[in-house]
Amino acid sequence: METMQIELPEQLYKAVNALVKNGWFRDENEVLCEAVRKFIESFRPSLIEDFILNDVEWGLHGDE
Amino acid sequence: MSNPKRLKAICDAGPIIHLDELKVLHLLSDFHEVLVPDRVWFEVTRHRREALNHPDIPFRKVILDKPPDGLLLAMSKAFSLDSGEIQTLSLALQHRDSLLFTDDAAARFVAEQMGFKVHGTIGIIVRAIRRGYLSAREVVDILSIIPQQSSLYIKPALLDRIIRDLKERFEL
Repeated sequence: METMQIELPEQLYKAVNALVKNGWFRDENEVLCEAVRKFIESFRPSLIEDFILNDVEWGLHGDE
Repeated sequence: MSNPKRLKAICDAGPIIHLDELKVLHLLSDFHEVLVPDRVWFEVTRHRREALNHPDIPFRKVILDKPPDGLLLAMSKAFSLDSGEIQTLSLALQHRDSLLFTDDAAARFVAEQMGFKVHGTIGIIVRAIRRGYLSAREVVDILSIIPQQSSLYIKPALLDRIIRDLKERFEL
């Protein structure tokens, strides 16, 4: 596991703390990991589309 | 431009399986060597028993005995990559001048962040026009049967758009 130091705006920091205090997550670390995972998942369809269109361009005009 | 015949490719399971399903696996014979990590080799063999025995493709099974690089391991965890994808990226780290082929969006995203040249099944098929292995008509026909003949999922509207663009470009 790698360590990352981040700065959060106060409101966001409070929201993360509240999720932990209310028992939704074990700690702040777990909240942030889940948030990043959700972010990636939500972008997956548009990522796939970009990758495929990029593939077509590479297929036609790529110089390897 | 490097000579494609001297280029090495590193393959994740998806492109080998999908190209084999579409009966165009031979397009990989355009590479000097196609490296397949042992975990991916196992996965492909499980789904397409004969694919890796193709007589014209220089497949080489690579056994990875070192643990993945720290950054790669961290990104793999964050992006929930499976063991085959992690091995594929580890192998790419050892062969930075190679092309990497995967159809997994997360693996591809990580690969791009790590600076690899990465493409997927669609790219390999369309590339066949540029390399003179297939006509544009043949490529359009292959793309059209993806939903019926292959386990590669592409949003129907996107696939239609690609086919329409190719038809316009090549006046088909």
